[in-house]
Amino acid sequence: MNVLEAADVVKTFREGTESVSVLRGASLSLARGEIVALEGPSGSGKTTFLTILGCMLTPTSGRVAIEGRAVDPNRPDRLPWLRRTSIGFVFQQFNLFPALTAAENVEYTLNLKGLKGKSARIEAARVLEAVGLTDRAHFLPRDLSGGQKQRVAIARALAGSAPIILADEPTANLDSQVGSQVLELFRDLAKRENRALLIVTHDPKVRGVADRVAHIADGVIQN
Amino acid sequence: MVDLARKILFHDKVRFLITVSGVAFAVTLVFVQVGLFEGLLANASVTIEKIDADLWVSARNTPNVDFSNTFSETMVQRVRSVPGVARADNLIVWFGRVALPSGATENAVLYALEDFTHWNLPWRISTGDARDLRRGKYVILDDSATKRFGPFAVGDYREFNGQRLKIIGRTAEARSFTTNPIAFLDYRVAQSLDRQSLHNRTTYILVKLAPGADAPAVAAAIQHRLPYNNVWTRDAWAVRSRSYWTDNTGLGLNMVMTVFLGCLVGVVVVAQTLYTSTMEHIKEFATVKAIGGGNAQIYAIIAKQAVIAAVVGFALGALMTSGLRPIMAGIDLKLSLTPSFAFVVFAGTLGLCLAASAISFRRVASLDPALVFRG
Repeated sequence: MNVLEAADVVKTFREGTESVSVLRGASLSLARGEIVALEGPSGSGKTTFLTILGCMLTPTSGRVAIEGRAVDPNRPDRLPWLRRTSIGFVFQQFNLFPALTAAENVEYTLNLKGLKGKSARIEAARVLEAVGLTDRAHFLPRDLSGGQKQRVAIARALAGSAPIILADEPTANLDSQVGSQVLELFRDLAKRENRALLIVTHDPKVRGVADRVAHIADGVIQN
Repeated sequence: MVDLARKILFHDKVRFLITVSGVAFAVTLVFVQVGLFEGLLANASVTIEKIDADLWVSARNTPNVDFSNTFSETMVQRVRSVPGVARADNLIVWFGRVALPSGATENAVLYALEDFTHWNLPWRISTGDARDLRRGKYVILDDSATKRFGPFAVGDYREFNGQRLKIIGRTAEARSFTTNPIAFLDYRVAQSLDRQSLHNRTTYILVKLAPGADAPAVAAAIQHRLPYNNVWTRDAWAVRSRSYWTDNTGLGLNMVMTVFLGCLVGVVVVAQTLYTSTMEHIKEFATVKAIGGGNAQIYAIIAKQAVIAAVVGFALGALMTSGLRPIMAGIDLKLSLTPSFAFVVFAGTLGLCLAASAISFRRVASLDPALVFRG
């Protein structure tokens, strides 16, 4: 069974009196343990598609299902719950909380998911160990390198048991060597923990770790 | 549980300092203004509250305890005959002119009784004995007179309305709202200082009720027998004396305006710094939303920051006020602060800080979590 499925997703925005169709029937599916790279030129609708898959935006039409259950576009109040329970995010700018240490960044996400106290600390330590940052657990983001920050972000996405990880240009702010290391780590962890991983990217290195590459152009996916 | 609110707030220490300084400044302003006001007003009714009388009889329409008018001293006999009255004595409160050794003259407020032993007057005597006043042309003077009259000692003489009176004691805390020091002397001596106005006349009758007597009923009975006087319970008379100054001098309005401005400054500083902080952390709040947090979580973060700012700002403000208290006492300004007033200021600080944080709520409510995908 596919853990994430998008079928015929259309998204139209209104700009003044005009309607602009960003997605024109985009379809994509991901299975557990599968790694998919989504490539496309700027303005092709990558980010809008990612935003819809990440339950931050509802489509104008089409269907998105997570673990077989359709996301109801008429219940926007359910979207935060879906994001909390089913999806982990890795962002281009890392988006770590500057005031929290690496461990606290992970722990805070777990707190939002309902895991608190010692259980959250144990899980945070586990994922930080998985990304090789045990010795940097109590460092603030400003004291970490770009690669280390992205590894904390990966640990944050993996923390808990979200079956889907969505990554937006995770190597864009890293140099080539560090980017490759982060991708290798990301792939190993996604496979080991049986998570579905979608990486939206311009970086050709991502092809090397992906099971499948999907292209998006003019709002349509070409597998 | 990771305390994101506290961590964000303390992460930028300069901003935090600015926020709590704004709150502390507002709290200090309110404490000092209201404290001074209360301290000043306390002088307006201090004698009413200290004198052990349940009822006061005054000449009709007497506006406050200092601005007394006279009536026949024989009225006291009528009061003594009213059932429920345990004791009634005449009290003279009158302004006197004091000639100083320097040649200048100053005012003093004279409090005169025939027998000081029954009325807790003077209530704080540091030297001398009030029972000696009835023995002759003696006066007990309050310490506050030092500032107006210059240094004085027991045994010195001062000229009151042209008569030499010997100082036989000193008191503390006895000063009127008009800042004139209070002098205590014998009833007949006081009458002799202003024969034209006070011969066979008094300005008040103090009434002590018999145990179990109903104050309003006795007051009504006295009023019935003295239709051209006013009868006051102690509380009503204290309120009237204080209200005279707040209502007729603009002092109350001035205090309200200052407190309002103090609160306004505090609210603006807190609202501005919290809003700026929210805007600076907007991407972090978008991240909270993106990873599954709702508006409620972000409201809780901002509200908690407002509460921390209120608590720390209040504590700092209270500390600064306590530091100012002895300094102000040194220049004869009394800061009157009670625990109940401190609680009101604390609750107000908390409420206003939370209200100030509500401005940030509006911005957060419309925050798009997809902001995290925009560079």
